[in-house]
Amino acid sequence: MDYMLLAYSPEGAWTREEWLACTAASGRICDELRSQGRFHAAAPLHPVATAASVRVRAGRTLVTAGPFAETTEQLGGFFLIAVPGLDDAIAIAARLPSAGKGTVEIRPVQALAGLPDFRCASPPADGAVRYMLLCYDDETYWTSVGATALQAAQAEAAALTRRLAQCGQFVAASPLHGVASATSVRVRQGRRIVTDGPFAETREFLGGYHLVDVRDLNEAIAIAAQHPGARQGTVEVRRVVDLSALSGPAA
Amino acid sequence: MSDAIADLYRDQHRRVLAAVLSLVGDFELAEDAVQEAFLAATAQWPSAGVPANPVAWLVSTARFTAIDAIRRRQTQRALEPELAARIAAIQAANGAVSAREIADDQLRLILTCCHPALDQQVQVALTLREVCGLTTEAIAAAFMVAPAALAQRIVRGKAKIRDAGIAFAIPGPEDLPVRIDAILAVCYLVFNEGYAASSGELHLRPDLCLEAIRLCRLLAELHPDAETAGLLALMLFHDARRATRTDAAGDLVLLADQDRRRWDQARIAEARAWLARAMAAEPVGSYTIQAAIVGLHASAPTAAATDWAGIVAWYDALLLAAPSPIVALNRAVAIAERDGPAVALPLLEALAPDLQARHLYHATRGDLLRRCGRRDESIAAYAQALDLAGQEPERRFLARRLRELRDAGS
Repeated sequence: MDYMLLAYSPEGAWTREEWLACTAASGRICDELRSQGRFHAAAPLHPVATAASVRVRAGRTLVTAGPFAETTEQLGGFFLIAVPGLDDAIAIAARLPSAGKGTVEIRPVQALAGLPDFRCASPPADGAVRYMLLCYDDETYWTSVGATALQAAQAEAAALTRRLAQCGQFVAASPLHGVASATSVRVRQGRRIVTDGPFAETREFLGGYHLVDVRDLNEAIAIAAQHPGARQGTVEVRRVVDLSALSGPAA
Repeated sequence: MSDAIADLYRDQHRRVLAAVLSLVGDFELAEDAVQEAFLAATAQWPSAGVPANPVAWLVSTARFTAIDAIRRRQTQRALEPELAARIAAIQAANGAVSAREIADDQLRLILTCCHPALDQQVQVALTLREVCGLTTEAIAAAFMVAPAALAQRIVRGKAKIRDAGIAFAIPGPEDLPVRIDAILAVCYLVFNEGYAASSGELHLRPDLCLEAIRLCRLLAELHPDAETAGLLALMLFHDARRATRTDAAGDLVLLADQDRRRWDQARIAEARAWLARAMAAEPVGSYTIQAAIVGLHASAPTAAATDWAGIVAWYDALLLAAPSPIVALNRAVAIAERDGPAVALPLLEALAPDLQARHLYHATRGDLLRRCGRRDESIAAYAQALDLAGQEPERRFLARRLRELRDAGS
């Protein structure tokens, strides 16, 4: 099964050195997972101050600066992994430095037919920048409109990924299982704390993600506005940290 | 014949389900398949005779039923490689299941129902439903929630197990102790809910106590471990006193006032045997220490003959193993018995920052003040306890104490 591990922590809690050490430690775990065939993708994200939130209402695209919701802990990075079951995902989450400082939320990835092949392993082409589009929506909306409407929206999102693949912009994308399937992992005083549910209770939850390679933020926003989720919820656009460009001893 | 199958259903249904579940990994599929297997037995055994190993026959029949069901799903939808892989895995599993394998399957089922990624309320509901075989209505009644709400909890739990990929598996030795702890926590929570309901009139719900004891006994068989034995001893010691904890009017009877001749000596003997096993472990765990404390109470022929020095020593150990303000409160109560209320009072009052929102703190303080002859302060403390108490028999007990104190002064 594929799992999305979302690392939440207060951005202010990390010094530059700690952040670099965390990135290096996470990188070693990724290398290990890669060698076991359990790895799809992982990266830190640029701070939420650089985020843009995209909504489409009544046919108009509304872009606001900042994340979709103000929270005390922010999404600082993600790990997309392929492991046999939740216990394996929990074991990996507990090893991530973020679990000691904040919370790692584990979300099972939903299988969706009709997606192009992922190309997480290849870095962005020259002149391209990688962005993560985080699709937040109100799950009760989708249960109220029924399964057919949800399937139509997923088919529309899958069609968007195929268009992106044709112009070389697609990296990866998946819907996530509902937030009821979320599990949160923290490590405090060396003890692993596993709890049912997401890291924070909000009205809108992360329902899916896209990784895209684009020229700039404007292009990422334009893609976000085409996503069916932008018409109901919010698509948060976050730039992925290019680890190859990191300077310093940890790079 | 149908009686024999009914008996088998009652006694073995949960074991068969556990075995099929760990093969097919899907509650709905496994439950349907087990039902069909029992129906097949009802149809075939009267003429063909009961097979040599009926449980293995049922597991094997349910297994084929489940494979058929997966195949039917597969023709309905597009070919899903996951389903094909699952059929292959079920077919590869040896149909002849041994008793040991079924025991492991039962342990897997308990571990899955008590998985820490499930909300504890969901763990309790799933365990009572799937492991103990209680009906949704019975569980809902025991926990005083609407049956629909409880059914929803079970549905949510099964959906999470399926969607989040919680495996029906026994974890490695490094993770197993923590996972066993989670099961023990569910056992104890069920027991306590039966032993002292958190609110309302019903003080004792013996069904829940017996269910918790049965579950813990099953766990002790499946996975003999010191703390499991310790918790079993603790619950058996408590349960031995059940008949004497309330009077005919349903009012609370304090330990010191209970009729010790009516304590269940067979239960106490069994508890002692489990306690002896639990004590063999090093270091002794917190359930075992609690069982040792309750065991000393159970050994005292009269309240006055209680070994309070021994009890204080065990509370010292418990404070080290599992420090909590409630443990410290109970230690202060034991010290009051050993050294007198004046010695214990400052120890208790030091706990005020943690415990002043709990009726137990004020009731205990009221009792110590009363025994120190500080009547007015005692009345004030009992009045505060009464304000905070939610359970009816407890409220009646506190109100009675207040009346006695006020009458004594007039």
